[in-house]
Amino acid sequence: MADASQGVLVPGHPDLRVQGPPIELEREPLVNNTRGPGWISDRIASVIEGPTPRWWKISFGISVVFLTLCFSMILWLMSTGVGIWGNQHPVMWGWAIINFVWWIGIGHAGTLISAILFLLRQRWRTSINRAAEAMTIFAVMCAGIFPLIHIGRIWLGWWLFPIPNSNGIWPQFRSPLMWDVFAVSTYFTVSVLFWYMGLIPDLAVMRDRAKTKIRKFGYGLFSLGWTGSNRHWSNYEKAYLILAGLSTPLVLSVHSIVSLDFAVSQLPGWHTTIFPPYFVAGAVYSGFGMVLTLLIPLRRLLKLEDIITVRHVELMCKVTLATGSIVGYAYAMEFFIAWYSGNSYERFLFFQNRAADPFIIGPLFHIKPAPYWWGFWTMVICNVVVPQFFWFKKCRTSMFFVFFLSILVNIGMWFERFVIVITSLQREFLPSNWSYYSPTPMDILQYLGTFGLFFTFFLLFLKYIPLIAIAEVKGVTPQADPHHPLGGAKIGEKH
Amino acid sequence: MKTIPPPCLEPETGPKYWRSLDQLADTPEFREWAEREFPAGASEMDDPVTRRGFVKIMSASFLLAGLGATGCRRPVENIYPFAKMPMDYVHGVPQYFATARPTRRTAIPLIVKSNDGRPTKVEGNPDLPESNGGTDTFTQASILELYDPDRAMRCLRNGSGESRQVALDALSALAGTFGDGTGLAFLMGQSSSPSRMRLQQALAEKFPKAAWHTHEAIDLDLPRQAATLAYKAPVEPFYKLDEATVVLSLDCDFIGSEENAAGHIRRFAKGRHIEDKDSSMSRLYAVESLFTLTGLNADHRLRVTPSMIVPVLARLAMNILPSADSSLQELAGPAQAHDEWIVPCAKDLKANPGKSLVMGGYRLPLAGHLLVSAMNDALGAVNHTVEFHKTPNFTEGTLADLVTALNNGQVQTLVMLGGNPANDAPTDLNWSQAQAKAKSVIRLNYYNDETSWNSAVHPTLQWDLPAAHYLESWGDARTTDGTMVPIQPLIEPLFGGITDLELLAVLGGMTPTSPYEIVRQTFRGIAGDDENNWRKFLHDGFLAASIAAESGVQHDSAELTKALGQIKAVSVEPTNTKLDIVFFRDSKMDDGRHNNNGWLQELPDPVSKLTWDNAVLMSPKTAKDLGLVIERLHQPQRVFNYIVEVTLGNRTVRGPIWIQPGMADNTLGLALGYGREKTGRVGIGTGFNAFKLRTTDAMYYASGAILVKTTDSSYQLSTTQAHWEMNGRPVVREANLDQFRKEPKFAQAMKPEAPEKGFGPAYPNPLDAAKKNPANHQWGMSIDLNRCVGCSACMVACQSENNIPIVGKDMVGKSREMHWIRLDRYYAGPEENPQAVTQPMLCQHCEAAPCENVCPVNATSHDDEGLNVMTYNRCVGTRYCSNNCPYKVRRFNFFDYNRRPLNHLYKSPLITTTDGEWELMRWLKNPDKGNLPEDEWQLARLVKNPDVTVRMRGVMEKCTLCLQRIEQAKIASKVKARDTDHVKLSEKEGTVPKTACQQACPAEAIVFGDISDPDSSVSKAKAQDRTYSVLEFLLTKPRCTYLARVRNPNPQMPDFKEHSMPYSTEEFEKANGAPEAEGGSNG
Repeated sequence: MADASQGVLVPGHPDLRVQGPPIELEREPLVNNTRGPGWISDRIASVIEGPTPRWWKISFGISVVFLTLCFSMILWLMSTGVGIWGNQHPVMWGWAIINFVWWIGIGHAGTLISAILFLLRQRWRTSINRAAEAMTIFAVMCAGIFPLIHIGRIWLGWWLFPIPNSNGIWPQFRSPLMWDVFAVSTYFTVSVLFWYMGLIPDLAVMRDRAKTKIRKFGYGLFSLGWTGSNRHWSNYEKAYLILAGLSTPLVLSVHSIVSLDFAVSQLPGWHTTIFPPYFVAGAVYSGFGMVLTLLIPLRRLLKLEDIITVRHVELMCKVTLATGSIVGYAYAMEFFIAWYSGNSYERFLFFQNRAADPFIIGPLFHIKPAPYWWGFWTMVICNVVVPQFFWFKKCRTSMFFVFFLSILVNIGMWFERFVIVITSLQREFLPSNWSYYSPTPMDILQYLGTFGLFFTFFLLFLKYIPLIAIAEVKGVTPQADPHHPLGGAKIGEKH
Repeated sequence: MKTIPPPCLEPETGPKYWRSLDQLADTPEFREWAEREFPAGASEMDDPVTRRGFVKIMSASFLLAGLGATGCRRPVENIYPFAKMPMDYVHGVPQYFATARPTRRTAIPLIVKSNDGRPTKVEGNPDLPESNGGTDTFTQASILELYDPDRAMRCLRNGSGESRQVALDALSALAGTFGDGTGLAFLMGQSSSPSRMRLQQALAEKFPKAAWHTHEAIDLDLPRQAATLAYKAPVEPFYKLDEATVVLSLDCDFIGSEENAAGHIRRFAKGRHIEDKDSSMSRLYAVESLFTLTGLNADHRLRVTPSMIVPVLARLAMNILPSADSSLQELAGPAQAHDEWIVPCAKDLKANPGKSLVMGGYRLPLAGHLLVSAMNDALGAVNHTVEFHKTPNFTEGTLADLVTALNNGQVQTLVMLGGNPANDAPTDLNWSQAQAKAKSVIRLNYYNDETSWNSAVHPTLQWDLPAAHYLESWGDARTTDGTMVPIQPLIEPLFGGITDLELLAVLGGMTPTSPYEIVRQTFRGIAGDDENNWRKFLHDGFLAASIAAESGVQHDSAELTKALGQIKAVSVEPTNTKLDIVFFRDSKMDDGRHNNNGWLQELPDPVSKLTWDNAVLMSPKTAKDLGLVIERLHQPQRVFNYIVEVTLGNRTVRGPIWIQPGMADNTLGLALGYGREKTGRVGIGTGFNAFKLRTTDAMYYASGAILVKTTDSSYQLSTTQAHWEMNGRPVVREANLDQFRKEPKFAQAMKPEAPEKGFGPAYPNPLDAAKKNPANHQWGMSIDLNRCVGCSACMVACQSENNIPIVGKDMVGKSREMHWIRLDRYYAGPEENPQAVTQPMLCQHCEAAPCENVCPVNATSHDDEGLNVMTYNRCVGTRYCSNNCPYKVRRFNFFDYNRRPLNHLYKSPLITTTDGEWELMRWLKNPDKGNLPEDEWQLARLVKNPDVTVRMRGVMEKCTLCLQRIEQAKIASKVKARDTDHVKLSEKEGTVPKTACQQACPAEAIVFGDISDPDSSVSKAKAQDRTYSVLEFLLTKPRCTYLARVRNPNPQMPDFKEHSMPYSTEEFEKANGAPEAEGGSNG
């Protein structure tokens, strides 16, 4: 490390030394290799403007196949009935609701990054917020499919909306499912607006760089006449701040309300007051998991390592660690309350129907293993044990390892919803109702199909929309900071 | 307050609803279909009863019926305008007719509901002194068989169709060739019909050389035969279970599979009834190898192997009879091991002279029944707990006699009325070969089955005639106590079926041959010529005072001594290499006659809860010894079990095993009536045929069977209840009688631990305001678990009343059965010899219903009368209500069960065809058509109750407490009230309707009514000490409450010495600690 008193050498100018910052303030820059704004614009735009890489074409082809699968499954479902899924008598909600909650959870990171981190002035958000928001929108779309198609009479799904109709009947506002409709649709609308809002300056960049007429027209249309004038920027910043403020409560409300689907009921395992915060923490956890899963390969494939730096990944790992630990705490609290309540039905559910495994707990307490003990323990390992690796810098900085763990996070969070939905339902109050739920191939194909939907949109997003907020990233480069040694107008540096 | 209903106007116009009818009557498709049913030559225009007759009847029924799928829409296009309204007929108001369902030697008196000309619901006739309106499952389900598209529909001569008239003419010509009856033989099912007796006598006079035989694959007639022998007079026993304080059942499942089960249940439940701590109740001992409903309801149960049944019986007899004969002693030898059980049981019986009763089951040998008779005589039961009624002396030969005659070439013409010996005759008789030796065979049967025309197997079957359903027939019968009852038709034979009376009359060359005239004549002979008597007979459904107990019977033990001398002294206990077998009458298929009845196939067996199959039942220990236990981590309703081969002698059957707790060890239970080779679309492929193991010398018990595990992949069985235990949860609460007397409110004390303070609802009860309005009824239900025996009649009654579809074996395996009321059966105690309880579980109509506030579309809500009502039209199928229902009594239509064939459920209509047409196109052309094959669809609609919506897929449904009956009663009451305000239904005036389950329950365990009326029986039931609600700590405030079960064990019995309280109570106390002494019922 260079001695601060001697100043810092400016690259490319061997004779120029500038006063460096005090050592204790030195941090890793958010854009590495002192990349200048021009490079940033070129690099990000080249993803769109450059030749389409082979991996993109292959993945897009596969995604479209799965997208087709998604809609064929929906067609089969609509023409035949919910019975093609594994849903059955005590377990009326199966994979559809699990997938819904899972996708919605994933959809949390985007808005959290874009809104809350924005309000908290977390400058590192800029490199990842665009892609994360896109992920949010597509994940919410995938999520939104499930509640719609899981109902018995899909063609009457519009009855869930308060549309004045000749029946004169309104939806029932006491039902959490009703709250879901509002929560999810509001969240989706605001997320889309917020995302689009942030896109406008970048679309204008793309318009200005466009070489074909179609491109110029397309980007021009959506950039809404942006010229980058001072007034535009001023309005833009204000609007962005307001939307960030509006989105922030939504981050907390959506998953809280989704959790109320369960918490409002009276089933052991569902009827739990800890659910809203626990679900939000879990959602952020899974959202960051998914962001990591997506961005770690992308930064390599699209050569964006200088913009999405190891530091970004580390920071995301830390959020994952924090939220994962909250989730772990919530699991422990659920068990404690089940025991402390003295309610034998609660105790049965948590100890005998979830935790009891055939190897340790079962034999130790002489209880029969729970039918889905493997689901429960997958959840615990993936959501409680896995994030603990992120205490270690070595783990956080190894991209392969982080990628691998982020996959486990996604799996763990899927199993969390599986455990909540299935184990609570399949053995509840009256033992005569007990049965065993297993999914059908159609359940699995429908789930895979939504990946088709997600990745088709995500790949199109990569191809046609700047995946990193060009304007914002420039703002967090050292050069953009007038007080930074590299910042401000220095010796005719080209911007 | 009161709405006066508008007068019934002319039928509304709007022919659009009936566009399908024109098509039906006139389209080429329908013609083609009709043609197919009645092949060449059958559709002459001048033939009054074949095609045209059929079309006429069918069109008329369709016209009047209303489409099943469209509920109760009125027919608007008139083919036959009501220029003259038939007497007593009001549009849309169902009519009720008295009739009876004939069973083997008795009949079940009925009141049948007819909606615009088609029978839709069967109920017991409550006016008979021996009935309370309760019925059994067979009777409730029998209506489905009327509309079975697979029933025999054509008269077949050597396999080709003939018109009904041609057939009858030919038969009548044939009758002229019988001469004195040499070479003529009759084979009939058992019957109690006086008319058939009369015709039989007339025919016997005309053809004195003719031979008469009866055949029942499962003969329930032995008690009568034994009584006739023991009392030297043609009498049959009639058990008065309600008057007995101690009952001993010797392998006699009088609650389930004996004749007149509904009657037995009625009387038994009466004897078990307790009101308060001063009441007394009867005690039931059961000795059996299987675990039957009777064993389930017994206070003490001795499980013994079939080989040991007769020795135990003899040992009991030794302890009861004043003087024991030496052969008895020898017979009883091996049963000494059970003396610990037998001696106190016999003591208890003897301690209650004149109030004790011994009953023997149909599986016992004749000697066993004679012993039972002797015991009853010794116990002073005669004329107290058992009465004897005069009965005709049936003298027909057996099937074995007939086979001998056939094999000797003595039979030229064989006439078979009913029965299916090719399937169910003992295998050593080799029926099919014997039948082929008759020159010509004439057969009347309801189904085209194994005995039906088949050129390879039955080449000499000349005439195969379709029988009429009892709801299409004129006839008569006698009930168990001898009361004469009419069988009157509610509809013309749908497919020109012939009754046995008609066939006998034709073959006898008699006039008239009309069954009506025959029955009328018989009645004239019995009750005189008074037309009013006849009308009263038809109206009431029975001939009053046609019963009289024979009091002067004298027991004669000579026959017993003789029979005991003939019976072989057994016997070695079976081992797991030489197993015993019990062949038993299935609780649903009977002997296979109900094999194509979907309601019965899907009805779970009351004890094993198996559907759609039979299995090789064995005890857990036997299964373990034979290495057949599969350890399972989870319990789905779909169970894959080993397939085993059971070999008896040189005959083998293959079937899956089923581990049945409570069975005797080293014993296999094989239900008869499954595995039919030729049956309808519903029954085909269900179970295996245990008849193939039966021989004449081992009809019900066999020993020396060998069981081999096969290497085949395991077989899927579907059950409706996967978990067997209550896990210490107070779902069914029970106590012993002395416990109950000490602590009458024991049931309310059995609550799981709950916080003591602050345990109350957060919000006021929304019903409180509605309850204050005196104009509102407040509906409620109370189910007495002490009376409920688990017979399952309520389940079928509900299915019939509420248009509940069947879903098929695969769907049951996926827990998607649709029964609105189910019978939960729990075992408690040791797996080898558990106690069991049953509990009807239906929508509890919670006042604070958890299902209601979670429905996003307001599809389920509460009315002011306390009903949790379901608006099917509004339901979009989120299924949240079911998830939040703690009782899980809601049922979801995962598929279009009402419209689609069960084997096509998973196939998308976009890629399937029906009757050769793309389903989507069919639907676009006519959405009312359904995706069932046309013949099934037309008949399936007729069985529907027009007052209840037929639910489509994607809709949640559940028990409505028969809302349609309540509404009908209200309408009737409003009509009657005219402009007064007296519209409220009241039990005192008899205007409160019964729910279907309540009406079908022979035990009167279910009480429904207005709880705002303090004098109603439901209010009184709910005021009893034993009242509790299931899961009351959830504060759902169910309107359906239960009365706890009380057992009445004998402290002298060995099992009591170890367990002084019911096993389930013991488990509860182990899990939750002893219940507190009370005081917190509203805490």
